[in-house]
Amino acid sequence: MRTTYRVLAWILAVEVVVQAAAIAWALFGLTTWIESGGVLDAAAIQAEPQFDGVVGFMVHGMNGTIIVPAVALLLLIVSFFAKLTRGVAFAAALFLMVVAQVLLGMFAHAIPSLGMLHGALALAILVTAVMSARLTSAPRAVEQPTTTAAV
Amino acid sequence: MLRARRRTWRTKGTGARRRTLVAVVAALVVLVPIAWMWTDSLVPSTYSVEEMGTPDVGGGPVGMDHAGHAGMPMGPSVDQLREPPGPADVDLTLVARAGRVTLPSGRVVDGFTLNGTTPGPEIRAVQGQMVAVRLVNENVAEGVTLHWHGYDVPAGDDGVAGVTQDAVGVGGSFVYRFRADQAGTFWYHSHQVADPQVKGGLFGALVVTPRAGLGDTADLTALTHLYAGRRTVNGLEGDVPAVGAPGQRVRVRVVNTDNGPVQVWVGGAPYRLVAIDGDDVDGPTPSTDSLSVTAGGRADLEIDLPADGAGVRVELGGASAVTYGRPLPPTPRPAAELDPLHYGTPAALPFDPAAADRTFDYVIGRRLGFLDGTPGLWWTVNGHLWPDVPMYVVREGDVVRMHIDNASGELHPMHLHGHHAVVLARDGVPSTGSPWWTDSIDVQDGHTVDIAFVADNPGLWMDHCHNLAHPGEGLVAHLMYEGVTTPYRVGGDPHNTPE
Repeated sequence: MRTTYRVLAWILAVEVVVQAAAIAWALFGLTTWIESGGVLDAAAIQAEPQFDGVVGFMVHGMNGTIIVPAVALLLLIVSFFAKLTRGVAFAAALFLMVVAQVLLGMFAHAIPSLGMLHGALALAILVTAVMSARLTSAPRAVEQPTTTAAV
Repeated sequence: MLRARRRTWRTKGTGARRRTLVAVVAALVVLVPIAWMWTDSLVPSTYSVEEMGTPDVGGGPVGMDHAGHAGMPMGPSVDQLREPPGPADVDLTLVARAGRVTLPSGRVVDGFTLNGTTPGPEIRAVQGQMVAVRLVNENVAEGVTLHWHGYDVPAGDDGVAGVTQDAVGVGGSFVYRFRADQAGTFWYHSHQVADPQVKGGLFGALVVTPRAGLGDTADLTALTHLYAGRRTVNGLEGDVPAVGAPGQRVRVRVVNTDNGPVQVWVGGAPYRLVAIDGDDVDGPTPSTDSLSVTAGGRADLEIDLPADGAGVRVELGGASAVTYGRPLPPTPRPAAELDPLHYGTPAALPFDPAAADRTFDYVIGRRLGFLDGTPGLWWTVNGHLWPDVPMYVVREGDVVRMHIDNASGELHPMHLHGHHAVVLARDGVPSTGSPWWTDSIDVQDGHTVDIAFVADNPGLWMDHCHNLAHPGEGLVAHLMYEGVTTPYRVGGDPHNTPE
């Protein structure tokens, strides 16, 4: 279970990287497409214009609304069995952050400035996921020998 | 020593077991609600739209006199709600085909044709004529139908797979018949697996001209469509020259066949917005503003071409244009927008919306959940995910008001089948212009629109978002006349998939 916890936490960290990479690809592709004569309006957005990077939007959307929340949920469930000090707390925090991140992704379409929080929270998820993965490398609290400070 | 060790083991054992139990309980607390939501969202592989959703009578009476479905009196079936057989004045066959398609522009895309072309042939009728269209499916594996967008045809000819007919399978056919009572600009498109089929080109224009004719006006239909993301007018890209003599009046019938609004403006001359969604505007005045045409909606523009032959451009979305006269470079989009809510002169309505028999809410939201078992962000209607959407119940002759409130984060072009509604207000601001009759209306995120209509066309009608990706994501409800039934089912052997 500790290994599963670690693997899931690393997957979550890698997923943040994938999300950042996908959206950057998509946005560079979009501006390049517009600069080369593509016209984007409300109808064109719905018609899935074809350009190098458009896949990035799809990856970001599908990954962010389905795979990332599923991994965070699995991590939370695994944390109940992993017997890690603060394991549940970290997994629960990650799960809540992921839910908040999905909601920010939705509502930033109505209030674009929320996009700043969406970007910042992504980094917080990345750091928390890495910290969660590293929890498993620390010895279990119950087995921790009493150490005397060496001066 | 031994006893002590055993005690420790026992304590440890109980502790470990208790921890496992706590973990299992915690996992169940998380998983059970999710599993319950998942199973609760599952929809049978075949179902009748009649049984779908929660009946909403909008404050009107509920039929109790017969032992019909859901306490309603038994009425006709949609396939009885059709024109009686007889000869037709406009009689044609449309053959649907799927495959590699060469557009009029020469571009080759994967898509669909009707009689070998996309857009399909323009159907023209004179007001009062009987129209019969035989749809033949040559090779479209998933089946096809034709829906007469904006035309208030009898319910049995509405062309919605699984609601008013079965999808026409390969080798099959279906004959649509309706009287062309209303002059104006309309269009037809498939309502089976509608999103990919319409995107791929299974549509065409339907134009009904008035009995008196159009005089000397040069008449042009401009179907705007994005094929594989490329803006086209009647299948052509870029500037599309049109025929019009200097000084002549031209009518450009803009039909937006896409999933989002298209901005239209005219460079080189003012225009008058003479009709919206096939209904004439009263007292249209010259304008140079930009006009937003709703997805699925139509706008008829009249322009008096300059007598000196100077160029005029009807700009469609900034990517293509219908051009007249001498060449004119592309014109920028004007900042001012024409608002039909305050355009034209007011006129009396044929009914009193204040004396409505039924008042409905159509509140659009969005939330995380399961739609038929698939997790995602889905649209909600009145707070509930599909299929738990309202079934708006009316009786023939009712005056119906509908308050559409969009709090979903995205624009929705709402389309009610079989009826034309008048826009009463937007965000509570009443209409001060010409009566604005519509069948496809944009409801912007964070805004409300109030419409009213007379229930004068018995049937079972879709009331959905015409961003055709959205009905499949749960943004679809129905308007049902009390007691009207349908023998057709969504799913099943014909694979009826209206969305």
